[in-house]
Amino acid sequence: MAAGVAVFQAGERSLMDSDERYRRLFRSALMIRLVEERIIELYPSDRIQSPVHLSIGQEAVAVGVCDALNPDDLVFATYRSHGFYIAKGGSLPKMFAELYGRVGGISKGKAGSMHLSAPEVGLMGSSAVVASSIPHAVGAALSFKRRGSSRVAVAVFGDGATEEGVYHESLNFAALMKVPVLFLCEDNGLAVHSFKNARQSYNLLEHAKTFGIECRRVDEGWDMLAIRQATLDALAVVRTGRPFVLEIATGRYKEHVGVGDDFHFGYRSAAEIDRWKARDPLLLDEKLVAELKPEIDREIAAAAEFAENSPFPGRDELLTDII
Amino acid sequence: MNVSTKERPSTQTRVLSYAGALLETMDAALADHPNTFIMGQGVDDFKGIFGSTTGLAQKYGAARVFDVPLMEEGMTGVAIGAALVGDYPITTHIRADFSFLAMNQIVNLASKYRYMFGGIMSCPMLIRLVVGRSWGQGAQHSQSPQATFAHYPGLTVVMPSTSQAILDMYPQIIARHPGPVVSIEHRLLYNLDFSVSAGAPSKPIPLTSYVAREGRDVTVVATSVMVLEALRAAQYVAEKAGIEVEVIDLNSISHPDWELVIGSIRKTGRLVIADTSWLEYGVAGEVCRQVMLRDPSMLRQAPAMLGMAAAPCPTAKSLEDIYYPSQHETVEAILTQVRGTGHGVELPVERSMTEGYKRFRGPF
Repeated sequence: MAAGVAVFQAGERSLMDSDERYRRLFRSALMIRLVEERIIELYPSDRIQSPVHLSIGQEAVAVGVCDALNPDDLVFATYRSHGFYIAKGGSLPKMFAELYGRVGGISKGKAGSMHLSAPEVGLMGSSAVVASSIPHAVGAALSFKRRGSSRVAVAVFGDGATEEGVYHESLNFAALMKVPVLFLCEDNGLAVHSFKNARQSYNLLEHAKTFGIECRRVDEGWDMLAIRQATLDALAVVRTGRPFVLEIATGRYKEHVGVGDDFHFGYRSAAEIDRWKARDPLLLDEKLVAELKPEIDREIAAAAEFAENSPFPGRDELLTDII
Repeated sequence: MNVSTKERPSTQTRVLSYAGALLETMDAALADHPNTFIMGQGVDDFKGIFGSTTGLAQKYGAARVFDVPLMEEGMTGVAIGAALVGDYPITTHIRADFSFLAMNQIVNLASKYRYMFGGIMSCPMLIRLVVGRSWGQGAQHSQSPQATFAHYPGLTVVMPSTSQAILDMYPQIIARHPGPVVSIEHRLLYNLDFSVSAGAPSKPIPLTSYVAREGRDVTVVATSVMVLEALRAAQYVAEKAGIEVEVIDLNSISHPDWELVIGSIRKTGRLVIADTSWLEYGVAGEVCRQVMLRDPSMLRQAPAMLGMAAAPCPTAKSLEDIYYPSQHETVEAILTQVRGTGHGVELPVERSMTEGYKRFRGPF
């Protein structure tokens, strides 16, 4: 953990309450958690007819990283991006309408949960093909560099994505061309149901170093402030025109896709996630949750109502925006 | 070989090779559009993608024309990312076969970006592929994937068959086409000289099909180098048998001018399809589908089709010569359509098509 960053534990809440930054991050993380809990409640109603990959447990990564970015920095993310969408400041009503498959959605219902985007706040298109958006961040960064811009691009991906060839191609190219890109690995240790030790014969940081890329791992994936600080430190390097690999350990509480738990299938134990839950501020800081929840709940209710009232896309939408 | 193209409004003409037309359009793209850049393996080396990018790195700098590592998928992803923030990337693959390494980015991302995100983002870019043929290109340096790419909605696929087609299409693709374009160029055409209009077109010419030669007896719908083969065959049968062939250059594979194509077939009632790839599930099938959808009775008889044999491309010249349709077979297909198998017209002896393209002597 970075020096000077408070370790959050139950009982120290009062010290944090006055910290505006902490409240801002906490609120954003709680928004993600409550939005996804609402999705879980709604899912059996079939209002959302789209696969959902929940971020519950991983919220701190999205909010810590996005808080460290400038508004005009770009994030290229994955099918598990409800967290990054909200943390980057995407519209909640448009998100719900998108999940509901309505024309009021960001992408008029053509994207659904797996292809969230909010280019107006710097979240570019999310892809459902693992690792495929990594080179997009490199390309945007290449463009920023050529224009002499101070903007940076962030490639968000999971640990499984680092097994894909394009990850290696992207690291090599970014290092070679010296472009301002942050490679952000959300290491939840799982690719669907496969553990990392069954998939990887390399160490991610050692691998990055062979390209001459600076890198760092944060083990405290529940700690929003630590993640924010680690991201700021990484961005200080990136903004000088050097790529950086930041790996953040985190825990996926829910099943890979869908809204349920998956411990009963036996491939992993609840104990593996309990160690994350034991440090999870959204579970531990009940006082702050109680304080913030009513307003967030009202926002979510309004967003869901907006979605409910938005029409379904009609036949006129079927063949528009193809070329 | 100097092949004249369709009549153009301008009376002024000049001679320009296919590679020369590519170089002119690449140069103009960089000069006219500061957001354009070219990347690909070897774009800045002394061969410059067979002369189509030679000298541009020196002229415009390494930030705008640059070599890349061997990373077809990564390069295409980089192009998408750059396009999303307002650049216009041009990528090259010295063999179309190598673009298959980039299929994920082309098919899963570039082709879908605009639609999948409801029209709020797009990634206009030009992907240049070069199809190899002859001199032992073999199974992995010879594929012509127009049907593959045209299958996916969201991609615009063109196959310029002449220098004029390049001069007409590339500037407008680069200046104003809203989405990703896959242009399939043919290596055999690179060193051929064409007569082209001296002036720039006064207005944009649509990315579509056109009549390369007018005729009344039979329609040949052709792509890329097969347009030239069809024109040569048309000249032969006109001289030997007085048969007038209408040759249609499909040119835009993904968005042909079907009214033009169908209008010609209605007029002649006879159809030959000459494509640079396999017939199975390809351009030939699509042309027939369009006929079937409208009125099968417009055809007086079953159409003839010319394409690669249904096998991977062999390297040995003796096999390569019978793998591709020769001028001999092209002429025979046309004569048989018009006069039947007993046409009695002497056929050209040319059985190896590349005999007509002697400037191409490899290695690639």
